[in-house]
Amino acid sequence: MELLVLIKPVPDPETRLRPNATGTGLDTDGVKWVLTGYDESAVEQALLLKEAIPGSKVRAIAFGTAPRTEEILRSALALGCDAATWVERAADASVDPMRAAEALSVACKRTPFDLIVVGKQALDDEAGLVGPAVAERLGVADYGPVVDLRWDAAAAKFTFARAIEGGSERVTAPIPLVVCLQQAWNDPRTAKLQNVLKARRIAIDKVAWADLPAEIKSAPPGTHVGAFRLPPPRTGAKMVEYKTPEEAAQKLVQLLREEAKVLP
Amino acid sequence: MSGPVLVLIERRNAAPVRPSLEALGVGRRIAGPPGTGAVVAILLGSGLEPAVAQVAELGADKVLTVTDARFDVFHAAVWSAAIAAIAEELEAMTILVAGTSNGRQLVGRLAARWGAAAVTGIADISRAADGTLSVVRPVFSGRALEEVKVDAPRVVLGLRPNAFPPPDPSDSKTPVEAHAVPELSALPALGTVTGFEPAQSGSGPDLSEATVVVSGGRGLKGPENFRLLEDLAASLGAAIGASRAVTDSGWKPASFQVGQTGRTVSPQLYIAVGISGAIQHVVGLISSRTIVAINSDPNAPIFKVADYGIVGDLFQIVPALTAEIRRVRGN
Repeated sequence: MELLVLIKPVPDPETRLRPNATGTGLDTDGVKWVLTGYDESAVEQALLLKEAIPGSKVRAIAFGTAPRTEEILRSALALGCDAATWVERAADASVDPMRAAEALSVACKRTPFDLIVVGKQALDDEAGLVGPAVAERLGVADYGPVVDLRWDAAAAKFTFARAIEGGSERVTAPIPLVVCLQQAWNDPRTAKLQNVLKARRIAIDKVAWADLPAEIKSAPPGTHVGAFRLPPPRTGAKMVEYKTPEEAAQKLVQLLREEAKVLP
Repeated sequence: MSGPVLVLIERRNAAPVRPSLEALGVGRRIAGPPGTGAVVAILLGSGLEPAVAQVAELGADKVLTVTDARFDVFHAAVWSAAIAAIAEELEAMTILVAGTSNGRQLVGRLAARWGAAAVTGIADISRAADGTLSVVRPVFSGRALEEVKVDAPRVVLGLRPNAFPPPDPSDSKTPVEAHAVPELSALPALGTVTGFEPAQSGSGPDLSEATVVVSGGRGLKGPENFRLLEDLAASLGAAIGASRAVTDSGWKPASFQVGQTGRTVSPQLYIAVGISGAIQHVVGLISSRTIVAINSDPNAPIFKVADYGIVGDLFQIVPALTAEIRRVRGN
């Protein structure tokens, strides 16, 4: 089984967010870029499948600028991925998630695959566009948000559940396939030091920015971030003063109806 | 501005889902007043009549029905092929999709198919005088906001549930038109839906769509005390959620969990009962419009993010609150 996992570097979840000087994005000064959240869980899922299906190989693919993108690919290799592809993004290139999906599709098309695993969204921009857009560009089916993904060797199909409103839908699907995973955290393994060292020596395949199709490099993407700001800080709750529980209830309901206007 | 705004109406149990109705209201907002730009609602599947009757009262200029049982099950590949073909034919420039599980799976694929830009998780939207669409979307679990400008002529927009009001029903009926089923050749090999297991969340609305959510934490002291929250939820028509402490202890199934490892909710009103307010939980509810916290510990971090707080014994406060809501609502 040839497994691909699509990942991206995101700011460490502990990062204190600040807008940059122009107010159009995150101030990336001092930000630590990591493999975490949905992406780390996707790698874990791919590795679990590799262990369950004899003869499987996992390739991690990421699109982005140096050096952060190479670093998270090294993290994926240290965890047990067999190979990695870095799709280069020029540092000054303007991209949006749909454009990232185009670039990733280029790398996927160069690699035979049976299954592409991707998180349902990234932890930072939460767009959720890449998995479905890559599937369309590759002409394969996509399903999400997926939990409980298993390979049914007898039927030669994947089985999984979609965690949707009101319950969970069981699905059986043939390969090739793109699955967008529901979980952000599934107790992923940590890399052993010897594997971290070994991962440094594995050659990462590169798709250079110069080699990407002209329409990705020259045409502007369909959207751009005009402003990035923090929400107004929460000032703390207005506390309801009361003598009896009944009085507390009355005062709260009055506030919700007349001040917050959230109760008819 | 040319071409209609297409609004996809998703159904569950034959009825349109609330987030899709919210999308209809947004459609009117960005198309302009009736007579300037057209809003076209589109429904796919079989047995569409009850949903069509409801949608036809909500101010669209046209309701398009595409009747084919192949759409009764959601496959992003099939839906995006059909909708892209229809959008092409109608010369639409904007497609609105609600942020349901299916909707979120559809946007990227539909945009790639139709050659459009895409933005998801939209909490606010406006159109400048020159026609440029500008949207606001929470990012980083609600810790920051992005304002995204749409530069492409075609765009698929994914909306956040509960961020926009659904339109009020009117007396005028929207004309309904049956649309031919687009040619669906060259589809990829698809999966087969083999079953559906309803969530054990009782009869209330689904967590991610509910306008009111009542959540319980460890302060409830045991699973049997969730009946207090069930009464409160019933008085409000609310969905029930839980903190990770509760689902980890097995008091409630994992599907109830609100937070970073569980569901993200954005209701009009979120009531946290006996929940301390660990950051892991807070990121799942921070986009709620109004947050109420009831906790015995005045120093509980939940009071820092809540709009209204009551320090006290939840076993006394919650029944009093349920009674008061029943009283004011006359039931």
